[in-house]
This record gives sequence, C-alpha cells and structure tokens, in this order.
Amino acid sequence: MIVDLIPDEDQSAIEDTIVSFLSDMLPVERLRDAASHGGAAESAVWSQLCELGLFGLGLPEEQGGLGLGLPEEVLVARALGRNLVSPGVLAQLCAPHLTSDESVRDALIAGEARAAFAIDQAYVLDGEGADWIVVFGPGGASLRARGELTLAATHGGLDHTMHFERIEGGAGNTQPALRLEVLIAAYLTGIAQAATDMAVEYAKTREQFGQPIGAFQAIKHSCADMATRASAADTQTLYAATVFGAGEDDAVEAAAARTLAKRAAFENAKANIQTHGGMGFTAECDAHLFLKRAMVMDMLGSDSRARRAALTATA
Amino acid sequence: MKIVESAQLKQFREQCRDWLADNVPKDRPDDGEAMRDFDLAWQARQFEGGWAGINWPTEYGGRGASVLEQLIWHEEYALAGGPPSGCMFVALSHAGPTLIVSGNEEQKSRYLPTILNGTENWCQGFSEPGAGSDLASLKCKGEIDGDDLVINGTKIWTTYAQHARWQELLVRTDPGETRHRGLTWIIGDMQAPGLEVRPIRTMAGLEHFAQCFYDDVRIPLKNVVGEVNQGWKTAMTTLGFERGTGTVAHQIELATRVDRVIEAVKSAPGGADEAQLEMLAVLKSEVMALRSMTAASISRGMHETVPGAEGNIVALYFGELTRRVNAAAFDLLGPHSLERAGYNYPAHFLECFKWAIGGGTSEIRRNTIGERVLGLPKGPKAV
Repeated sequence: MIVDLIPDEDQSAIEDTIVSFLSDMLPVERLRDAASHGGAAESAVWSQLCELGLFGLGLPEEQGGLGLGLPEEVLVARALGRNLVSPGVLAQLCAPHLTSDESVRDALIAGEARAAFAIDQAYVLDGEGADWIVVFGPGGASLRARGELTLAATHGGLDHTMHFERIEGGAGNTQPALRLEVLIAAYLTGIAQAATDMAVEYAKTREQFGQPIGAFQAIKHSCADMATRASAADTQTLYAATVFGAGEDDAVEAAAARTLAKRAAFENAKANIQTHGGMGFTAECDAHLFLKRAMVMDMLGSDSRARRAALTATA
Repeated sequence: MKIVESAQLKQFREQCRDWLADNVPKDRPDDGEAMRDFDLAWQARQFEGGWAGINWPTEYGGRGASVLEQLIWHEEYALAGGPPSGCMFVALSHAGPTLIVSGNEEQKSRYLPTILNGTENWCQGFSEPGAGSDLASLKCKGEIDGDDLVINGTKIWTTYAQHARWQELLVRTDPGETRHRGLTWIIGDMQAPGLEVRPIRTMAGLEHFAQCFYDDVRIPLKNVVGEVNQGWKTAMTTLGFERGTGTVAHQIELATRVDRVIEAVKSAPGGADEAQLEMLAVLKSEVMALRSMTAASISRGMHETVPGAEGNIVALYFGELTRRVNAAAFDLLGPHSLERAGYNYPAHFLECFKWAIGGGTSEIRRNTIGERVLGLPKGPKAV
C-alpha cells in the first residue's frame, strides 16, 4: 500500500488550530498551579474547546461528525499529549465512536455530556464532572454511564496533576478498540516530542565549561537519539492511522505504534530529566511531568503481553 | 496523510512484477570477478527490458519514473528477490546523477550510455586514510601539468575498486586552500598507469573494498566535472537526486529477516518465553517503523525538491536497527543460529556492521541530526 504521510492543507489547518489553542489556553506551565489539576484547567475553557469541533472529527456526517478519519484525530491526540492535556479530552474524542445511541453521541460531540477514561476497569482519570466513562479492560473498551459505576476516593496516584477514583466491583464487558490504541500512541508520541523539544531548548541555553551543553556530544547525541525515537514512534503512528480500516492488519499496526510510542515517551521523558541535571530532579522543573503522564497514559488500553502476541503472531 | 492509489500505478506495479518474475537472476556470486560479471550482466538485461536508470531522466536514457513509480519498482524488486546493484551501485546512484547535473554534453554522451547498458561501472574515490568522517580534510593531490591533472596520494574504503572501470575522484588541486575549498571532482581512469589497487579483506571475509595508490597518475583535464577547485560543489549536486526510494529494498529485506527469526524462535523446541517474545515484538515494531519512516521520506520527496537533513534520522535508525536484528538470531537461537535451514545468520551478522560506519558513522549522523535538524551548537570549543 502506498501512503503519503505528509498532512494535506486541511489536516494541517486542523492541527494548527488545536496547537495554537493549546499553546494559548492550556500551556504545560499551567500544571505548576494545583488549581488547574485534575482537568480543572480544561473545564475552565470547555466551551471554547467545544467550539473547535474536535469531538466529531472522525465520525461520518450522517452520525453528526465531520466525516474525516483517524489521521485527523491522531494529529489532535498528538497535540493533546504535547501539552499534557487532561486525558478526559482524549476520552471525549474517543467516546462518540463507542456508542450507537444517537442522543448520547450527539451530546458527546457537542460537548454537552463529558467523558473520561478508566484504566483497567479500576481507576477513573480526571472523572469529576464526567457523565460517561470510557472503561478499558481485557480485550478493549466500553462506554459506561458514570452513574452506573460505584466509585470511591483514592489517596492519589503516580501523577499528582491528575485525579484518580477507584471503581468498585468491576465494570462489565468491553469490545475491541483498536482506534483508541492508535490515539493513545499519538498522545504518547506527543509526550516524546515535547520532552525532546524541552531538552533541546535547555541544551541550547544552559552553559557549562563556557559553552552551551548542547555543543558536547554526550548531550547532542542524547538529543539526536530522542529525536530519532520520537520520529520512529510518530511515523509509525501516522502510518497506522492512515491505513486504518483499509485492509492492512490494524491490530499489528496499532501494536507497533503503541510499543514504539511507549518506549519513546518513557525514554525521552527520562533523558529530558537527565539533560536538566539537578533542576530535572526538582518539582519546580516541568521535566518530571512528562514521565509521570507517560506512565499513567500507558496503563490505558492494551498491555504489553497483548501487543507481544499481536506482533509475533506468525501466519 | 492519505492512501495513494490509481489504476495507472496498479498497472505499473503489474508490469514491474511480470518483468521481474521472468528476469531476476538467482545465485549472485558473493565476491570476485564472477560477481562483477553477474552485476554488469544484470544491468544489461534491465537495460534491454527498458528498466535501466529507473530514476534517471528520459533525455539521458533513463526510465524517468515518478517518485511513486520508483517506490513501486523497488518494492517489487525486493519482493522478487532482486540482487543488490553491487558493482553498478556507484555508477547508477552517484556518478551518473553527478554527470547528469554537473557534467558537460561531451561527458554525458561519453559516460552515461555505458552505465545504463552495463558495459562500464564506477567506484568512488572520496575517503582517505586521514580523511574519513572528516572528509573535507582530504589531501590526495592533483597538479595541473599541460592538459593533464597529475594525481598523487591515496584513497581508501573504495568499494569494488578492483572491479571498476571509472572512478569519481575528489582531489585537492589548490594546496593553498583548506577544507571544502580548492578541491576538484574528476573522472578517474582505473586503467591509468601509476594506479595500484590493493583489495582489503573485511571482517566478513570478503574483498569488497580496496585502497588505491596514485603515483603520478595522469588524467586529462577534460575529465574535470564542474570547475577546477569547485569539486565540493560538484560532489554535493547529487543530493537532489535522492528521494528516499533507494533504501526501500534494504528495508523490506530487514523486515523479512525479522519474520524469519520470529518463525525460527517460535518453532524452536520449547517455543519462546515472554522475554524472547518481547524482544521480537520490539524488533517487529522497529522494522515496521523503518517502513513508515521510509514512506515518510518518500512522501517528503514528492513534495520537496531537495531533501533536508532528516534523512540522517532514517539512516541512523536503519544502521542501528540492522545490527540489533542480525544479532537477535544469536541471542534467541543460540547455537542453532550457526546454521539453520540453509540460512547464513553469521554472514549477515558480520556484514551488517558496515551500515553504521559506511557513508557516515552513527556518531557523525547524530552530530548532523543534533546540529542541522535540532539546531544545537557546533562544538565543543577548546576550553
């Protein structure tokens, strides 16, 4: 199959719109203020976010969507990852695909009903104010009304900028959700890219031994490896999105994207901390936020055992 | 981002597939004159079939294929088990394109047809013992004497020098200049008196490259391509020719190799454990990413006229990945990897080291990515 992986004009316009909105309204620095944690910053700009028309991007027009596809959604998901936007916004992008109920779908597309993710039938992420929960479990995901679930408070989680609630007593069946796998890969890729950019920027400005540390090959090569890992994850994710549903093996394409996006996000987040030296170990520096978010986001959807099985299946 | 399909491309693919199925030769000798004869004969056959110079313009006898047609050709070529271009590689991918862009009409009409029809092949003469990664420090000397350039010095890592008819030779013609200035690109005659070629055996056991020694070798000045002392410019003009399609065959071959290792490990007694499956899953993901990165390079090639430094990312990824893939068989199959179902794992493993060294080491590529893609400062300065 021949693919053109360069975004066309319309795709670039969608990406530019979300990127510029996020850079104005939801910069990563917002997370230094606890008042913006747990999806609060996103809630504060919710009506403007809905006006961008992101949530029906990949749905057919007869279902109230814009009739575009996974490539456009992936560009949005990657931008969300770059700015560590609350996963609830990504859940909102996914949720309309998981229901056949027209009124629920319309409300989700319009942003009148809110969605959030749940990890492994156990933890809801940034779920305050959500009406619907995209619950991941063995084999995929399902959309559940928040009111149907029994939720309990937790004493926190790995990422202090997020809000976690525990689901008591299970959450029912799931259906295959390969589309969501590709979107999670895109979010993780965004983290990998943002961590690279942050490390490169610091390497250009931080001086030791009388010159920017980026002049030293130890740092320069680490940055080059970060860019290479991010590029591999990114192009595989774009490829998986572009050929999705067109006859290639979506499960294998998605598993490859997830595998590489996870590695790129984890490794680049760690390398970014290391590049920042002592500052990188402080709470004040944003570097640790990328690692924490990557670790939580990777808990969504498939686990590595399922991906291994898909990738090593032989004919 | 979209799938590109058309009836015309589909028809082109079928045309490639049919011709390759009938014509691809098997059992390429892996060394010596038999290998050279095989490579030239295969080139001649492609010429007769109208496939020679797939990316060369039609006005110079090439196929003039579009970027997408080139991609299809290379895909079908790899799937049909087509041999490497081998002794024809430099002529087709570097010397020919350089002449097309920078040569004069006389040079083009003399040298291009014999490349396409497989009667004459070329080697490269750029690297020297003291000028490897730092190519611009090269010292091999060219002095103008009458109508000739008189060459003295040495070139090394010259792939298939002992089998080549002509050489793209980069020499220092202005001793007062340093670095990229004062160099000249000239068509070297591999049969000229005073030239000695000593083959070098590689760690893989084959004599695929050589060192060339020049002792008052006289080359007519009419062989200069571009201007005297402007050789660096001539050497760089071929960049615009590269559209990312040249690596398609390597990428497909590597992907096939991963599938072969997966198959072998899973069918070994006791099967594969989770740790082994994880290693295989990562390699499988990585060769898929390499395919996607190649597709992205080709996509850029469709939209841009001259490729940027991003090509170094794909080259670095390929060089490092090919080592991991070829080493995996030994980690996963143990002694079974010495010989298995007629497949020569050791030969591939030993040979693959070249990909992270030749044409730019992984370290130089990381410098280039750091400086030209990411904008990091050059350096470091002495402290």
